[in-house]
Amino acid sequence: MQTPVSVTEETLAFQKRLRTFVKVLSTKAAIAQTPKELVWTLNKTKLYRYVPVVPAENRFPVPLLLVFAIMNRPYILDLRPGHSFVEFMIRSGFDVYLLDWGRPGLEDMGTKLDDYAMEYLPRAIRKVKEVSGCQEFSMLGWCIGAILTTIYAAIRPDDGLRNLLLLTAPLDFSDRNHVTFARWTDERYFDVEKILAAFGNMPGEMIDYGARALKPVDNYITNYYKLWDNLDNPRAVEAWHAMNTWVTDNIPMAGAAYRQLIVELYRKNALMQNQLRIKDELVDVSNIRANLLTVIATGDHITPPCQSEAILGRVSSTDKETYHIPGGHIGIMAGSSAHRTTWPHIQEWLSARSR
Amino acid sequence: MPEQVGEQAKPFDPFESIRGMRDAYLESISKTMVEAVNSESYAQATGAMLDYALSASAPFREALERSMAQTLQQLSLPSRQDVAALAERFTNVEMRLDDLDAKIDRVLQGMAKAAPPRNGKRQTRPRKAAAKRA
Repeated sequence: MQTPVSVTEETLAFQKRLRTFVKVLSTKAAIAQTPKELVWTLNKTKLYRYVPVVPAENRFPVPLLLVFAIMNRPYILDLRPGHSFVEFMIRSGFDVYLLDWGRPGLEDMGTKLDDYAMEYLPRAIRKVKEVSGCQEFSMLGWCIGAILTTIYAAIRPDDGLRNLLLLTAPLDFSDRNHVTFARWTDERYFDVEKILAAFGNMPGEMIDYGARALKPVDNYITNYYKLWDNLDNPRAVEAWHAMNTWVTDNIPMAGAAYRQLIVELYRKNALMQNQLRIKDELVDVSNIRANLLTVIATGDHITPPCQSEAILGRVSSTDKETYHIPGGHIGIMAGSSAHRTTWPHIQEWLSARSR
Repeated sequence: MPEQVGEQAKPFDPFESIRGMRDAYLESISKTMVEAVNSESYAQATGAMLDYALSASAPFREALERSMAQTLQQLSLPSRQDVAALAERFTNVEMRLDDLDAKIDRVLQGMAKAAPPRNGKRQTRPRKAAAKRA
């Protein structure tokens, strides 16, 4: 039997939890806090260099360039202080650069994968080489960023790329039964031209819906009650808040790039068929000779493992490795256990190849 | 022994079993839904809904765009397309400048290699002052 005092206490506690819940849902967390310098810009694209914390003589000479997807913010790689891949890597002695593609406007609706991979990326790499003073570099591509880095590595194999890291890379679209996006964007059901005629670019909200709808119960229900259950745990709330800030910060995808992604890759599997033409050049992944690490999330619904596995057998790299890790598309790099699993593995692999 | 003390210290939570049931139920629903969205019928249904929404809104959107273009023209104001075209030209100019920057770097590097070092030091291009803290 509860006394009036305990009922009052519980009511107050409930009100406090409710206030925290609403605050977390309606505010933005402080994210991307690692100090950085802007070293180059072109259109909306920005190249940042993170301020090193390790003395130059103890740092690895080969710089690391991070390339994220074109339809999400790249600060997932530097989510929050104490839980940031970037912070982890600069503390490990790497000279880290981040390419931020920016938010495309209507004027960018004609920007293709060709432009991202062979106009913007090579220019940013030139700047990385200039600033670091090193003619070799490592590149980490994540999601669509992995497609762009793969295209670049295949077309410019002699440009100084020493190490290529591909994270949850959607490169092979042959297994349509396990790639839900491939089913949804089938030409029988999905008219990509009609969408682009209406919006110019692919709206961020539609991309976000697509990603969430892959696991609707988890993303629309479970996610929120997990927050409610953990409201008394400040660390869990902080982590949830930062992730929610990133997840809800949607940006559109340039129309022409989206068309290529759907038509050339999802429908024709042109990259793995050696039929993808970028800037009038055929992309042949067998040209890739850089040391290669592919990181595959075994529970990834956005890029199922079958999409990332074939690349290893197609490249000419002699030093190549696949790292399977339990987790989802984003969780393997930004989840609560990433600092114990994925990050140290990447750091060890890269350290051995960056001297 | 410490475990027993810990167990005793844990207050009774009447909702724990309800939460357990809720989690199990949502997990089973989640699996069913993941299978449902990965079906041909779901792809067909969402495709049809999207197609209908775009087709139904197209005449209104086009009419609005036409009237907006006329209004802006009468007010001697640039349209969204005009601004976008201008922005595209700016991007092209930026690319040209970036190309020039790359060429200057190459020329300076070539000169630095060709010229004998003065006072034991080679001439290099100074880092841009434009680099700033983000």
